[in-house]
Amino acid sequence: MHGPAALQLTTDGRLRHLLTTEGLSKSLITELLDTAETFLSSQGQPVKKVPLLRGKTVVNLFFENSTRTRTTFDIAAHRLSADVVTLDIRTSSASKGETLFDTLKNLEAMQADLFVVRHSAGGAPFFIADRVTPNIAVINAGDGTHAHPTQALLDLMTIRKNKGDPAQLSVAIIGDLKHSRVARSLVHGLRGLGCPDIRAIGPGTLLPGDLEHLAVRTFHRIDDGLKDVDVVVLLRLQKERMTAALLPSEREFFNLYGMTESRLQLAKDNAIVMHPGPINRGVEIANEVADGQQAVILDQVTNGIAIRMAVMAMTLSTQQDERS
Amino acid sequence: MNAIIRNMTIVSPGSPMHGKTDIGISKGVFVDPQTLPRGQEIDGQSSLLVPGLIDCRVNLREPGLEHKGTIASETRAAVAGGVTTVVATPATDPVVDSPADVRLVLERASVSGYCRVLPTAMLTQGGEGSQLSEMAALMDAGCVALAQGNCPFRTKKIKFNALKYAQSLGIRVILDPESRDFAGGCAHTGRIGMGLGLSLNSPLSETLGLGADLDLVEATGVAAHFSRITSKNSVERIRRAKAEGLNITCDVTLPHLMHSESAIANLDPNFHLERPLRTEDDRLALISGIADGTIDLIVSDHAPHETGAKLAPFPETEQGMSIAEGIIHLLMQLDRKSELPFEISLTAMTARAARFINQDKLGVIKYGNNADCVLINPNQTTEFNDSNWLSAGRNSPLLGALLPSQIFGTWINGKHIAGR
Repeated sequence: MHGPAALQLTTDGRLRHLLTTEGLSKSLITELLDTAETFLSSQGQPVKKVPLLRGKTVVNLFFENSTRTRTTFDIAAHRLSADVVTLDIRTSSASKGETLFDTLKNLEAMQADLFVVRHSAGGAPFFIADRVTPNIAVINAGDGTHAHPTQALLDLMTIRKNKGDPAQLSVAIIGDLKHSRVARSLVHGLRGLGCPDIRAIGPGTLLPGDLEHLAVRTFHRIDDGLKDVDVVVLLRLQKERMTAALLPSEREFFNLYGMTESRLQLAKDNAIVMHPGPINRGVEIANEVADGQQAVILDQVTNGIAIRMAVMAMTLSTQQDERS
Repeated sequence: MNAIIRNMTIVSPGSPMHGKTDIGISKGVFVDPQTLPRGQEIDGQSSLLVPGLIDCRVNLREPGLEHKGTIASETRAAVAGGVTTVVATPATDPVVDSPADVRLVLERASVSGYCRVLPTAMLTQGGEGSQLSEMAALMDAGCVALAQGNCPFRTKKIKFNALKYAQSLGIRVILDPESRDFAGGCAHTGRIGMGLGLSLNSPLSETLGLGADLDLVEATGVAAHFSRITSKNSVERIRRAKAEGLNITCDVTLPHLMHSESAIANLDPNFHLERPLRTEDDRLALISGIADGTIDLIVSDHAPHETGAKLAPFPETEQGMSIAEGIIHLLMQLDRKSELPFEISLTAMTARAARFINQDKLGVIKYGNNADCVLINPNQTTEFNDSNWLSAGRNSPLLGALLPSQIFGTWINGKHIAGR
């Protein structure tokens, strides 16, 4: 392993940062999912408050716009009793010419314990963990088109809760995989859990060139790709894909790849439908599917809080043990 | 000064001196040692004497970018790498586009440079790609060729005109083939760059640009040099175009011969280059291209940076690598790995390079030529570290590296230049 996949683990294989799902072992992913489930109440809701991170300072560093991810990280940190500082870097020091490097060094001097980082450049959280503040746990909340590991883990948690062991399942990911850090991280996570059948469905302009290397089968016709799958993962389609001439229109995308009730019947009977949100109704998904029995989209959001609590607790515990 | 270097082996392919074990130096040129009176004798300690290297693409950064490097610091680093002549890019600040700029570079080089500096200048004013520069005056001032670097021409018609005008004056042009539509991206479109979520650069950016440039070269008849070829497809196209009789030459950078895309797996910003490292298949094709002469030259594309330029996430760092002081050792390393024989890589940085810059007294060790030479021992090693590093740019994977040879001495115009 190289780069982010190697740096995030201690020599004895514990999670010191979470930068990517690439290279995470089955046992480590399982430990993360099991820990997350302990943060859910018997009604399936995240517990209201535990004192696990009392006295710790979590800094949300968002160099790129995000509302939902930032909010769930906020809630997760509060429920663990941590102190939370949120910096919207786009409007603060970056505009004063302070470099990323110096900003982070300052935060380190202020005794921060954990950084949650979102950045438009692939590899930015790795840079921070590797070169800037190696003694602070870093959680990647999305970097460029590289990775969004907590999203992938909450997807895996949702799959496991609803359909059981991913090693027995077929999963289809539909849409813009090429520009999706969510899809890339999910593929690595599914591989880590031994999922034997991962499929990518989309037009040639929206599928990356390295899927074969990742043992993902590609389909350009949705009817072929959906056959008998247990899990359907839809991805958000950005408007920029049309202006970049990667697609003619949202309408054509929906006609070719939109998830409708009739298409969903090609999947297994009680297949689940997932989407990282926010959904574009009538583009990736028809209303009746979005609001239907098989959609688990809001379940994903709930699980997201528990997953982020688990990741924070585990990385901080590793960092604490390394320091002592 | 007269001197005789003995007890070594001359490696200068194509020269009648190749394989000889002594040589005389007098009045700045190589002479028959028999003709010299007894004078200073230099013991070559059983090492190799090679022609001083000619590096045809070096960013000296002066004037205007002295925070990255100076003519003094970077020519000193080059000499430490076995180089005795550098061709400076016009990518300074402002760019070199007037005879006064050329004279400034030459004057500073004569005052503070450690080796011979040959300037190039921009084909268009300000490098802006719209108005032709005063090409004749630039050549008179001392340029060896004119280039456009990474600056695009505003239209293909202007590019055609620039090439036609240069052709009519017998000026060689240096082109960096690139299609503007496909330009950009910090990593090759391979699985390493894709897996790391980096912005990608397709080899199409180069081959589409090269295809159009070859048409322009054919139409204008200009002597054109394609710089920094990175892909197997480009090598094959140039091979075909040469076979068809086109008046072209080309080069590859040393980092592209040494490394493939896997070098960026750790997001080491030293491997963030203006032209991305491509696949192992591409790298091997580039090596074959040098071996069979399709690719004429090896250049360093030495690009020193201040520390802050590389202190950011990989895609946001500035491009380029400081590599000058490792050059001859890296050629030796390619030989040790049985990838490219030293005599061939040496030719690509000596005899062929001298022909490229029309310097018939450089690049070959023979009587009457400028006494530019390097004594190198292939049985010793060189380790680079913070305390012996000479370039102002520490943006180099060579820091901390152990390389397979050691330089004993370097002479330029018969004058011994202190090494490291």
